[in-house]
Amino acid sequence: MQRISKKVFVKRQKNKTHKNMRGFLWILPSFLGVMVFYLLPYADVVRRSFLGAVDNRFVGLLNYKTVLENTAFRLAVKNTLLFTLVCIPVLIIVALLCAVTLYKSKYGRSIKSAFLMPMALPAVSVALVWRLLFHSQGLVNHWLSGLNIVGSDWMNSGSAFWILFISYIWKNLGYDIVLWMAGLAGISSNIYEAARVDGAGERQCFFYITLPNLKSSLYTITVLSFLNSFKVFREAYLVAGDYPHESIYMMQHLFNNWFRAFSFDKMAAAAVMESAVLLALIMLLQKAWDSKA
Amino acid sequence: MDYAAISPGGQVICAYNEILSDGIHPVLYLLDKDGKANKMSFELPKEEGEQEAGQLSNIVTKLLFPGNDWALLQDGPGKVYQINVSDGSVKHIYELDSDTSVFEIHAVGNTLIAQDETQVLCYDLQTGEQKPSDEALNQGGSENGLFSAVDTLDSGESIYNLSRGGLYHYKFGGSVMEQLIDGNMNSLGAPAFYPIALAMIDEQNLLVAANDTNASSATGVCVLKYSYSADTPAKPDKELKLYSLYDNKEIRQSISRFQKEHVDVYVNYQAALSEENGMTVSDALKLLTTEIMAGNGPDVLLLDGMPVETYIEKGVLKDLSALFKESGGSYFENILNAYKDENGQMCAVPARFKIPMMQAGSAYFTPGEDFNTFMERKDTMANMQPKTVVEKFWYTCGAAWQKEDKTLDEAKITEFLAKLKNAYGEYDSSQQDDGMQMSVTMEGAGTEVEEDTGFSQGEFNLAYGKCNTNFGLYKSMDYGMQQAVNEKLENGSIDLMPGQADHVFVPFMVMGISSKSAQPEMAEEFVKYLFSQGAQKISQFGGFPVEREAFLSVIDGHQYEGKEDLIAVGGSDLDETLSYPMEPTPKEEIAKLTELVESLTTPALQDDVIKEAAVEEGEKVLKGEQSPEEGAAAIIQKVNLYLAE
Amino acid sequence: MKKYCKQYRIKIKGRRAAVRPGRMILWLFLAALALIVLYPIVFLISGSLMGNDELKSYLGAVILGKNGYAQFPPLPMFPTLQHYVELFLDSPEFFVMFWNSMKITFGVLIGQFIVGTMAAWGFAKYDFPWKKGFFLLYMILMLLPFQVLMLSDYLVLDFFGLTDSLWGIILPGVFSTFPVFIMYRFFTEIPDSLIESAKLDGAKEWQLFLYLALPIGSSGIIACMVLGFLEYWSLIEQPMTFLKDKSLFPLSIFLPDITSIDKSGIAFAASVVTFLPAILVFLGGQDYLEQGIMAGAVKE
Repeated sequence: MQRISKKVFVKRQKNKTHKNMRGFLWILPSFLGVMVFYLLPYADVVRRSFLGAVDNRFVGLLNYKTVLENTAFRLAVKNTLLFTLVCIPVLIIVALLCAVTLYKSKYGRSIKSAFLMPMALPAVSVALVWRLLFHSQGLVNHWLSGLNIVGSDWMNSGSAFWILFISYIWKNLGYDIVLWMAGLAGISSNIYEAARVDGAGERQCFFYITLPNLKSSLYTITVLSFLNSFKVFREAYLVAGDYPHESIYMMQHLFNNWFRAFSFDKMAAAAVMESAVLLALIMLLQKAWDSKA
Repeated sequence: MDYAAISPGGQVICAYNEILSDGIHPVLYLLDKDGKANKMSFELPKEEGEQEAGQLSNIVTKLLFPGNDWALLQDGPGKVYQINVSDGSVKHIYELDSDTSVFEIHAVGNTLIAQDETQVLCYDLQTGEQKPSDEALNQGGSENGLFSAVDTLDSGESIYNLSRGGLYHYKFGGSVMEQLIDGNMNSLGAPAFYPIALAMIDEQNLLVAANDTNASSATGVCVLKYSYSADTPAKPDKELKLYSLYDNKEIRQSISRFQKEHVDVYVNYQAALSEENGMTVSDALKLLTTEIMAGNGPDVLLLDGMPVETYIEKGVLKDLSALFKESGGSYFENILNAYKDENGQMCAVPARFKIPMMQAGSAYFTPGEDFNTFMERKDTMANMQPKTVVEKFWYTCGAAWQKEDKTLDEAKITEFLAKLKNAYGEYDSSQQDDGMQMSVTMEGAGTEVEEDTGFSQGEFNLAYGKCNTNFGLYKSMDYGMQQAVNEKLENGSIDLMPGQADHVFVPFMVMGISSKSAQPEMAEEFVKYLFSQGAQKISQFGGFPVEREAFLSVIDGHQYEGKEDLIAVGGSDLDETLSYPMEPTPKEEIAKLTELVESLTTPALQDDVIKEAAVEEGEKVLKGEQSPEEGAAAIIQKVNLYLAE
Repeated sequence: MKKYCKQYRIKIKGRRAAVRPGRMILWLFLAALALIVLYPIVFLISGSLMGNDELKSYLGAVILGKNGYAQFPPLPMFPTLQHYVELFLDSPEFFVMFWNSMKITFGVLIGQFIVGTMAAWGFAKYDFPWKKGFFLLYMILMLLPFQVLMLSDYLVLDFFGLTDSLWGIILPGVFSTFPVFIMYRFFTEIPDSLIESAKLDGAKEWQLFLYLALPIGSSGIIACMVLGFLEYWSLIEQPMTFLKDKSLFPLSIFLPDITSIDKSGIAFAASVVTFLPAILVFLGGQDYLEQGIMAGAVKE
């Protein structure tokens, strides 16, 4: 114990003297690239958000106003929020349940591999399968008709949202299961042993030991699930095109369509707002995480 | 006489495919230098095995006479016979027949060159052996397309060949096929120009015999001489970029003419969807947007299929009204001004147009009747595909859907769908067979915008009662055919197609100049050329020209002047043949059509997003999968989203 | 950590007798779920082995607009390799595309390996002014959808003459901030004590990175590469926006139009062939992948 604390002391001292740009040198190559390929374009987007679309004259905050009043934008924001709010919690909870079950079993590994498989399937192939499954004369309706249920035109009705939802869960379940398992592996078995000795049942163990100890994993899982939630757009776009059913009309559809129509003014303003929201969200998550950890 | 070929020594061999009761018997004649003809004792061996119905195999399809004492002859399936002309004996047989493709054959020196889409095979004509395959030749052949004619200057050591891309030279065993003349720079690459033969005089001069369907002579066959000129730059220094979504034959033809007059300009024409690259319209437009914004975009845009209104609104296109200030009424102003705004700006101008027309007997259609009257009749659209019906009526109705504020009028759309469904009746799913569907898919492979909406496809069906009406986009006048059909019908007539909007025309070949073009003057010159009488007279059935003189020359049937032949059009059933005399269009018919064109007031709504939604939902309504109200709501939902953006 | 797991597993094994029926049901449910999850993959493979006639009779309803419903048995009635033959022999562009995909994917991965590990190391074990700010910036850039920067990206690439070139796809991929985020988590796991003792032994900073960080973090790095492979192997938006020359297209945007029945078989075969390298890399790197994904979740 003593030795370790000494080391920490040494390290602290070192950090104090070297709190300079030395560490930054490691970041530098990456940062230069990020500057060129991400920050520079981003700065251009910010600049464009104050300019007219093709003629480039300064219009102040007009674009922001136009975008906020735009009904398509409102719909896209609503759908994107709804999708995020519905999918991410469901995904995280289902993945947790699977993880807890699989973690303790000997077949867990192969089943987990099965769950991870969809990650490797290219979006184009997924779209192909989806199209054949959820077409109004597709396979799902065929199965339903076998059960004497009249199917529907899945991609052209409100159910499109749920198709996208399934698609997202399907693709990311394995990813999140693994994330949760990692969290589980981090919990010391001694705690469980001690609790059992005190007479705690499985349920109590789960609620009073497992869950509290997994809180810290939640942050990363949420961020990564959030990141992956943007990727469903690929499938949505490949299956339903530029103008899908209004329930799955996402921000990226809007961006895509604005792009094609030379509406760079609106696009830039919306992009700046979106990144501001992202920033706030991450800060909030980080804060919540810091206070818990 | 079907085929003839001349040998280096001046003998001529001719082939005639004689049709006898038990099949076709090709007969060969040999003419010596004095013109004395001798029938050759040669009988084309019968193909072994079962013959597929309708396939002609025992027939000469190509004749070559490269040596002095032997000739080459190709039969229906593609087999090549090398025969001795003196006694008609077969020296070698080259088994080129394959299931997938037929080889084109050429002979230079002692080499037989056989080519299909993917490979070029060479055979030694002395030994009959196949030569080892030549990688560079294969590659050159597949990149530049089929050779239309081949010649040599050094008895077969190297070949000169003509293909779509121009004139090429290849030395056997070499590493690359060299392009000598870029077909894009002259008539060699024009779409209506089909080279038949090539004769190299020397390395700098050559003769090309070709069939030019736009040539001035009646038959279209011409012989052109090309000479190398040191003054003409191999590739002009100025480049004008022209972009379209769909390949347009008229514009290709115009480009090759424009370049003949402007040798310093190279018109780089790119048709985004012409290749089978799985690209969607949306992807193509996205690419176009990035390029225009980055300043690498095209100078001239052929706007068919693009969101023209949006482009105008966003200032992507330049005002072209100055080009037409002094036109002095030589254009159909009503059409020319389809996209003119209230300030007199013309950012997009149609060079051509099509008219939705309908032809039927009086029981089904009276000229001039309105949409409601027509839609109350029963059986007018029997045996038609739901999708085609909706698409065709979209043109005459879509224009009436838009309200003042650009949103769509749901009541109008419901009315449209309900009436259409009522007139269409029950959908009979058995009428469509796979073959039909297949052919539709093949045809619509992205090259032509509206292959299925044309008027002329249905004329024959109408005449023989397979359909009760025929309607669609009318883009060229074939008066004889039209009249013949009318005569078969009871009180047949042809007039504007009824619709919710009246006097509709469909702007076509809509031209625009990018406002970011770095060379607006040259772009303007090119566009101006496209509207000149010369360019407007070019016709590949892509719509009527907007220039009046050219319009008349396209519809007057002047090519039939002084001919007395009959044209016969037959269907799959041999009894159904429609024949009519070849004759110029009568004066009063010309006047009638001109008057009709002048009366057109409403450009069809050219918005692919709305059209796609309407056709997709409309098809479901006609098939009975949803009610007209549901269909209209679905269209409104999709389109409102689009309009709100 | 690994040792730890093993101990734990042994213990659980000892307790297996106590499995309750409720748990059994949960188990069956999970197994069924796994089968459902795998269905699309089975679907693609079996479709790729069916002849055109068979596909036509099964999928006619969707593709040809025939009446009735599409159906699809899990196994083809008359298996044939026809579509694979067509794909490999008759479409030379397929190989070009495959090769382009390889170039893009490995180009990006090599770049990420160099640039990304360094940055992650810097973030994990050094302190410098504004570090938190930089990291936040990296995270936001990681979360920004591609569409937002599409035009400006194009303008930048155009400025450097990188449009219509594979470099225009590779370079932005190299500097993606996602691998930094993942590897950062992994590098922070390396105990400071280890670094300090190495330093006391006289190790230079670059030696620390090469001989300490890279080997210890190797599973995290490999995991990151596997994720990268999956991502860039199925890249769609970037090549579609930045590439014009058809001969540069990667495999991921090759989908023959399935609306024509002649091509749906090839589409299935192409899907399987595209899927195959991904699945190989995936299975090969699965252990690392799991550890790598875990790296992000394990608390410090």
